Amino acid sequence: MKLLEKLMKDRLAAASLAVVAATLLIGLCAPLVAPHPPNEANMELRFAGASWTYWLGNDHLGRCILSRLIYGIRPSVLWVLAALGAAACFGAALGFIAGYFRGRIDAVLMRICDVMLSFPGYVMTLAIVGMLGAGLTNILLAFVVMKWAWFARVIRTTVMQYADADYVKFAKVLGIGHLGIMKRHIALAALPEISVIASSSFGSMILQISGLSFLGLGIEAPHAEWGMMMNEARSVMFTRPELMLAPGLAIIVVVSAVNFLSDALQKVLDPKLAVSGKRASVRIGGMLRGLRKKEAA
Amino acid sequence: MALYTLKRVGALTPLLVVISFLTFVLNGLSPMDPAEVVLHAQGVPTITDELIAATRAELGMDRPLLIRYGDWLLASLQLDFGDSFITGKPVWSLLGPALLNTMKLTLVSSLFIVVLSIALGVVCALKEGKWLDLSVRGVSFLLTSMPAYWLAALMVWYFAVKLDLLPTSGMDTAGSYVLPVAVIVIGYAGIYFRVIRSSMLSNLNEDYVLYGRACGMSERKLTLYVLRNSLQVAVSVFGLAIPIILGSTVVVENIFAWPGLGTLTVNSILGRDFPVIQAYVLVLAVAFVLFNTVSDVMNAAMNPRLRKEL
Amino acid sequence: MRTKKAVILLASILTIVILAGCNGDKVNNGGAGTEAEVRELVYATAKDINDMNPHLYPGSMAAQGILYESLVENTPEGIKPLLAESWEISEDGKTYTFHLRKDVKFHDGEPFNAEAVKLNIDAVQRNASKHAWIKLSTKLAEVSVVDEFTVKLTLTETYYPTLLELSMTRPYVFISPKDFQNGETKDGVTAYHGTGPYILEEHVTEQFATFVANEAYWGGAPTVKKITAKVLPAGETTLLALQKGEVNFVFTDDRGTDSIDVDAMQRLAETGDYQIVRSEPMNTKMIVANSSQASSPVSEKAVREAIWQSIDRETISRTIFSGTETPAETLFSSNVNYADAGLQKREYNPEVAAKLLEEAGWTNADGTEIRSKDGRQLAIKLYYDVNSSSQKTQAELLQSETLKIGMKLELVGEESSAIANRRSIGDYDLLFNQTWGLAYDPQSTITAFTSETAYLHTTSGLPQAQELYGKIEEVMVSTDEETRKGLYKNILTIAHEEAVFIPLTNGSVTVVAPADLQGISFKQTQFELPFERMSFE
Repeated sequence: MKLLEKLMKDRLAAASLAVVAATLLIGLCAPLVAPHPPNEANMELRFAGASWTYWLGNDHLGRCILSRLIYGIRPSVLWVLAALGAAACFGAALGFIAGYFRGRIDAVLMRICDVMLSFPGYVMTLAIVGMLGAGLTNILLAFVVMKWAWFARVIRTTVMQYADADYVKFAKVLGIGHLGIMKRHIALAALPEISVIASSSFGSMILQISGLSFLGLGIEAPHAEWGMMMNEARSVMFTRPELMLAPGLAIIVVVSAVNFLSDALQKVLDPKLAVSGKRASVRIGGMLRGLRKKEAA
Repeated sequence: MALYTLKRVGALTPLLVVISFLTFVLNGLSPMDPAEVVLHAQGVPTITDELIAATRAELGMDRPLLIRYGDWLLASLQLDFGDSFITGKPVWSLLGPALLNTMKLTLVSSLFIVVLSIALGVVCALKEGKWLDLSVRGVSFLLTSMPAYWLAALMVWYFAVKLDLLPTSGMDTAGSYVLPVAVIVIGYAGIYFRVIRSSMLSNLNEDYVLYGRACGMSERKLTLYVLRNSLQVAVSVFGLAIPIILGSTVVVENIFAWPGLGTLTVNSILGRDFPVIQAYVLVLAVAFVLFNTVSDVMNAAMNPRLRKEL
Repeated sequence: MRTKKAVILLASILTIVILAGCNGDKVNNGGAGTEAEVRELVYATAKDINDMNPHLYPGSMAAQGILYESLVENTPEGIKPLLAESWEISEDGKTYTFHLRKDVKFHDGEPFNAEAVKLNIDAVQRNASKHAWIKLSTKLAEVSVVDEFTVKLTLTETYYPTLLELSMTRPYVFISPKDFQNGETKDGVTAYHGTGPYILEEHVTEQFATFVANEAYWGGAPTVKKITAKVLPAGETTLLALQKGEVNFVFTDDRGTDSIDVDAMQRLAETGDYQIVRSEPMNTKMIVANSSQASSPVSEKAVREAIWQSIDRETISRTIFSGTETPAETLFSSNVNYADAGLQKREYNPEVAAKLLEEAGWTNADGTEIRSKDGRQLAIKLYYDVNSSSQKTQAELLQSETLKIGMKLELVGEESSAIANRRSIGDYDLLFNQTWGLAYDPQSTITAFTSETAYLHTTSGLPQAQELYGKIEEVMVSTDEETRKGLYKNILTIAHEEAVFIPLTNGSVTVVAPADLQGISFKQTQFELPFERMSFE
């Protein structure tokens, strides 16, 4: 909660948090918020302009654009978040195993991590989508496959630090629940870096999933998704440019909010990065790794 | 230094083997039976189970996985990735030219990204907190949050159609580079300029700057020192950036009909042309690993303190 | 100091750009190329022209059509001479003797003669399994050279569509024997010298191909001296390129894909730079059902009929095609030979469709949205061409219509070649397709019912499949017009009753061309355009 307090001091961060939270909420409550069913086609309203019943007008099948925009939050934002969560859990579990048991398991797991990290994100996604076929599930799967390694590494390092801490050693000697102690401490210690990794990849993942849908490799019809809506608008882009506007702005607003939030989080959680460091070389190394993180998205 | 390079290259080989093996296994995920594909490519009218079995044996698919992997690796090293399912041409004859075109786009873009991010990074660092710094950061933030295709559409509409200054697509003239390069540069310069800026800032806070200032060194000279130190970061950052850009030109290429890897891959995925997809994954993964190594080695050469980090 | 300069510089650049923008508004928004130079045609194509070997199938037919020629030509008035000046057919219909034109040379200067004809047709026949969809390839016994300009084709049995099949864009067309590889064409050729009005000059894969006029063309050198095929993604990119004059010609491609939205095309024509020319209805666009997989719901006639009756063709024609394509109620429109079989129209009627499903045992009495039968959901996959926005829109419309009657359509967009591949291996439930056009309908499309590479999987699951195949075999060899009519009627009735070919609209070829281009006409097939007849004003 201290974290939230600190974050709230930054007005921009607070606004970003509000935007992200509102988006998530609207997405969750889509059936309650949306004025029309998102997939209801009505050819008589094909490309109709904005009206009182359809605030943002209608698309090529006469579907309500506003409703589709609202339902589009689910795959574009909510499912990406879910994939991120899955990757974090999976990565945390493996990272814990590696850090706790060390030895051969650690070596093997870290080699696998190296391989995963050496695949550029876009290539991995395209590979999985290419072999298993286009579709939202496969893209989300690709996200999990290429993200877990980041989390595994962080957790492993923290586990290693804490496994050597005196109180853990003490607990070990006494033969009592040192695992429980560790879990709590590790979760707390790893939280800053995990949330930084997660939030910084969140934005680029949203962009990527919409990009793939835009190329026709993402979500299947008739489901609404922002990239897909742009793909549909693309064929009439210059006769009806207004159709590109709503989904495009939605993406920009949400992604900027996520990015601002991520920056603010970084400042709050990682004072090392905010305070001008004296150890330049370490910082450079850290920064580089941070960059790779960002880009592997 | 030599030791570091050796170590780095030594670590490379097993990594490449694992990557190539993964790519090989990836192909096993494809839902199509290669034997059936070959028979269809030959135009055999009725395909029986016996015929499929015979073809499988002919293709050597009944042999152990590792042996098949060995053969495949050997062939891949000679750039023999098999034939495309769709065109029937050797995969490399499609991939090679496409790789070249994407390389051109990537290198030109990287060049501009380097120049632009260093310029903006330095200026913003020197003016930290002033309106220039704030506005450049703000704008770059917004631009990096923009979907590339959206930006591309906007720019095509304005510069190619409205102003009629540039071609809308293709790779015919030097003018064709402007829009795709601009879209890529806008997407990435925003990220890299911030790296340069913060590296400049951290250098400005170093003891040597304080010391220099105390000794009455001119601000101009000090800035140059700081700049030189900050550029070290730039080198390694851009070593890393090149393969990332190489892999992420997909959307941009598609919009501008750039005859490169991205266009080829998306078309191959939509056409279920598995050999092409497989070769693409392998080539890009290898490129990524190689660039990473080169940039690490270069970085270590310039900054001895990093060598211990292996 | 320096930063200030940079700011000033940036600001001035911005100003210039914005000013230029204002000027740009007043000038024009593109045109159809500059007048002064030699006018050429640059057409947009969504796919590379690919392999131009005329004896194989990957190449673009429009491009092959201007490079190569066949012995005879299919016209609205019937079969006309092309490379053969005249011909005789023996009494029993088994021997065809062709008298060739004497003034024809291949692009590389080689003479076109009886020997070249024999070499080419023999090369095609040695790769017969690829050409099984053309029944002639299974009935051709021998090609013999009578004299330098006379060639004789001997068939194993009478086959009435022989001349029709010889007129097709491929494979019975002629490439210079010098281009053969080891006396064969099936493994590739060394160059692409045909006898046609245009010569392939340059081909850069995935970018462009240029064709120049064949000045020595036997029919007279074409007036449009240069044609370029430029690879562009379908849709707005093509539209923009047209607006700017980077390309100045667009037409419905091989696979029936119109790359531009109908409204956008109309707007383009309104600028005065372009004209739109539409052919007569050429073919029928349809959804093809796979009857051969018992596990798939579409192997049931009732399900197929329900889909048929869920399609609102009037609305599709009016809204998606702005009236440029008419609703189709049968596989072939009645102006196609033998197709006037008096088939019953199936109206758009969702209630009847729902009832059909109910009666067939597909129920959702338990209140679920999707019907099911024996624990199986009524879920069907429909494949469409990703390059065709009209197919996607129709698919989505159908999806929303069928959902109302408890049927779940899953839409999958793929490249046309992947869809063709699915068709030939039977890996589909439903897919978009089209009949092959006036020159091929009905005989080739119907022959294709039995061909693995085409509609075998569509027809093989029908209870009357054997009867159907027998009749198809029979009609092709029958010599009596009345018998043929009767047989075609039987065949079309079976296909219609079983509802495996679900018609949508009657498609035509659309051309967008510079306003001053004259002589735009069409052939009897949607696959080619007679560029040699076009000229600038």
